[in-house]
Amino acid sequence: MTHQGIWVVAEQTVSGISRVSFELLAKARELKEQGRVQAPVTAVLLGENLDDYYSAKLMEAGAETIILVDHPALRYFQNETYAAVLKALAEERQPSIILMGATAAGSDFAPTLGAKLRTGVSAHCVDMRLNEEGHLVAVVPAFGGKVLGDILCTNFRPQIATVRPGILGKVICFMHKQCPVERFDITDILAQDQGRVKALGITYEEMKGVPLEEAELVVAGGFGIESKEIWQQLETLAAVLGGAVGCTRPPLDEGWAKESQMIGTSGKSVRPKIYIGVGISGATHHICGMKDAGLVISINKDEKSPIFDVSDIRITADAAAILPLLIEGLQKNEDDVIC
Amino acid sequence: MALNIAVCIKSVPDPKWYEKITIDTKTKTITRKGIPSIINPVDKNALEAALKLKEQYGGKVTVLCMAPPGAKNELYEAMAMGADEAALLSDLAFAGADTLATSYTLAQGLNKLGKFDLVLTGTESADGATAQVPAQLAEWLNIPHLWNVKEFVLATEQEIHAKVKMDDAVGEYVIQLPALLAVSREINKPRYTTAMGVMKARKKTLTNLSKHDLDVNESLIGQVGSPTWSGDISIPSLARKGQELIGTPEEIVTQLIAKLRAAGIREGRGMVNDASGNLGSGRTDG
Amino acid sequence: MFTFTEEQEMLRKVIREFVEAEVAPKAQEWDEANHCPVELFPMLGEMGIVGTFVPEEYGGAGLGFVERSICLEELARHSAGLAITVMAHQLCMGGILNFGSEEQKKKYLPDLATGKKIGSLSLTEATGGSNFMGQKSTGEYKDWQWVINGRKCFITNSHLADVDLWTVITGQNEKGKPIMTAFIIDKDTPGHTAGRTEHKLGLCSSNTGDVSCVNVKLSPQQMLSQEGDGPKIALSTIQEVGRAGMSAICLGILRGCLEESVKFSNERIIYGKPLNKLMNIQFTIAENKLDYESAKLLTYRAASMKDKGLPCACEFALAKYAGNEGAIRAAKRTIDMMGGYGVINEYPIGRFLRDTLAGSTAGGTSDILKVVIAAETLKG
Repeated sequence: MTHQGIWVVAEQTVSGISRVSFELLAKARELKEQGRVQAPVTAVLLGENLDDYYSAKLMEAGAETIILVDHPALRYFQNETYAAVLKALAEERQPSIILMGATAAGSDFAPTLGAKLRTGVSAHCVDMRLNEEGHLVAVVPAFGGKVLGDILCTNFRPQIATVRPGILGKVICFMHKQCPVERFDITDILAQDQGRVKALGITYEEMKGVPLEEAELVVAGGFGIESKEIWQQLETLAAVLGGAVGCTRPPLDEGWAKESQMIGTSGKSVRPKIYIGVGISGATHHICGMKDAGLVISINKDEKSPIFDVSDIRITADAAAILPLLIEGLQKNEDDVIC
Repeated sequence: MALNIAVCIKSVPDPKWYEKITIDTKTKTITRKGIPSIINPVDKNALEAALKLKEQYGGKVTVLCMAPPGAKNELYEAMAMGADEAALLSDLAFAGADTLATSYTLAQGLNKLGKFDLVLTGTESADGATAQVPAQLAEWLNIPHLWNVKEFVLATEQEIHAKVKMDDAVGEYVIQLPALLAVSREINKPRYTTAMGVMKARKKTLTNLSKHDLDVNESLIGQVGSPTWSGDISIPSLARKGQELIGTPEEIVTQLIAKLRAAGIREGRGMVNDASGNLGSGRTDG
Repeated sequence: MFTFTEEQEMLRKVIREFVEAEVAPKAQEWDEANHCPVELFPMLGEMGIVGTFVPEEYGGAGLGFVERSICLEELARHSAGLAITVMAHQLCMGGILNFGSEEQKKKYLPDLATGKKIGSLSLTEATGGSNFMGQKSTGEYKDWQWVINGRKCFITNSHLADVDLWTVITGQNEKGKPIMTAFIIDKDTPGHTAGRTEHKLGLCSSNTGDVSCVNVKLSPQQMLSQEGDGPKIALSTIQEVGRAGMSAICLGILRGCLEESVKFSNERIIYGKPLNKLMNIQFTIAENKLDYESAKLLTYRAASMKDKGLPCACEFALAKYAGNEGAIRAAKRTIDMMGGYGVINEYPIGRFLRDTLAGSTAGGTSDILKVVIAAETLKG
């Protein structure tokens, strides 16, 4: 087969490179070892003003060659442009595997790329490996994460897969000092752009405290949080513990929490050292987003809540009864602040 | 201006029943027996968006679904909600399709049904949740698309302004018609289907389309046209052996604080500064 | 053998979705606060739930009694209080639809069928509901007007209704028997007032109380049908609209009991096993199921006979009797099965028992129903 090598499509963010890009590079290096792949692991980054900082970061995270596509037209994500660039690159270089983060942009342009290249895309993988024939086996969740299935794409190349941020978790710092960095010119590709979609701009949500995906401690609230006052107590608890606040659907619907705080298959995956679920019953789609947490503590007044089955510490009680006492108890002793 | 709008919906097992899903260990297939099918929840938001546009600008709303014949119930329900007509793409040859083959078949169905100014879908299905069909459908139709749209307005007869959910951000775009928009659940609250709507639905047209009715390349439909295929399936066990804290709320809290302290509180502080923690935290060198 | 059409199945599905989203989460709260959720009426109207059997030309859904029973069953599954509010409102609409003049139908039905206005039927007096010929309220024709005086009690929607149907005695016939006549009274007519509000055992999210008329002056256009048609209007409305509705409401409560018992026995772990592994618990489930299924068949058979225009007074009596008594039994059995959980208000089963007990009088107590059933059966 002529297609070879593993590519990771990295993503530029407002503050650098998205963490999932590094998670994917670590995974790509692991797959390379596992499958004794000869070709180097390649990082492809599309964006604007891509200086040495970016190539250094990608190299540190495991890239063995780097392709930078640097152009003002790539400042905002635009599916048509991004997919056209990736298609041109992939057709020219013929990678065997392309990994992308299942971010808002990646979730959208991976399938477009797949359709353009007439190949298969495995969406939102939770794990992946190479089988004996060297084909990518992508493990994907279905039915809200209740079921896991292997997806293969044996007769088509490249094999494309997306992975949600935080799922792989591990980021490795590699010590090599040098790797080839190539800059890919897209003038011809942009000339063909029909301009059917134009990006006008992007507005970032104001972030409070630690980003959820990176937090070492997460306090999450759900249906059992019965009032805004109790929700605010939960936020206080998270602040006292130096953790981030997550939620399930009901606090979001109430307007207390933001979309970016939702944990689950249709939200974020977290793997903090400590997860405290308050008033969360534990529907499958939420459990899939927190199952990899270290210590799981659950407080729910319904003793039959499924969350208790996946918890290390169970407390059958009303959130309103526990939260004020817990905050008070922790504040008594400053040493209890943990992260 | 009257808009000709198509809404693609999926018939999915009701997510409320996902706990009941089991795997037949012999055949390695998913057993969803006795689990009712519903319109994929976010597809109702797409239909609601279409109905609102029709109310505002006039036009027609056609609902399309690729599924086994039983999905006619979901299509009738969509017509009960207010869609004008429906088409069911159903053929044994369509079975086993992945997102690429599904989106190809849907595209051929839409091409057969006419010229649409706007194609609306939900962002993703509750069961497979790949979120890939909208982008791929747009690709087969050769029209532009936006995915994860939380708000949009028809700015001119040719253009839509849309707000798109990004990661912790909202992007703003202008897209030319004809276009496809995949909408997210916060875009609207789908109307309830009324008793009157239910009764009107049966008088509306539901067209059945098999592969013979469509202009399809047989190598692109069903299992044959699907680059991906499924291997093993499993239901992972996530059970933990939990310990229950009991007593009065005060006693519980005292135990809990002790547990938190014991759970590597000091280690927690240390981990932030290691190599892995650094990478995600963005550039610091200005 | 009765079966539902595909439309009816879909109707049930969409009504259930609505009820689960808009009614179920608040039902317990309404009950505890004695709050009748009239704020839902415009939405119920839009859904076609209140005007189910009113023809489309008068703003209704133009459907039959099977469809009406489906809607009431689904409402009562989560809130029997709301269901009986709708049912009592339909008594008013039923009276006007079946006996009103074209002008009256055009004037009143569109707003009632769409839930913009609320209706009631004021029939019962302190002397009792079933002995309605013994009522004391009067109507006297004076100066081209009817003057109404009297007091009605145990009236559902007494304090909420915009349109109130009354029966009064307007004289005596040649044999000395009272002549009963029905009138439509608008809420703001001077002299028409709501009195005390009853505090009930159950159906707490419905409103029940007294209504009085003191020298209420009505133009002759407010008379429903003709002088002397009161008994016909009252009987037909109570038996065919009221009892039919109550049979569906009891059925809804009964399904609530069945579903709660299934849920609890599946989830509750005792001695390391789900409760449902115990044979006596299985007996409870089987008995609840049997009570529900038999009441269901009786209710929908009666409703489909009504839709076909067949006489069905006995059939509705059977249905309400089976539904009401079945729900009492099923609620009691389920409470027994649940132990302590059965009597705390986090679980709705206690409310179901109170509602079904409180619903035993509306549309006839079981004893009255037995009299109806026996009379029909003894005819041979």
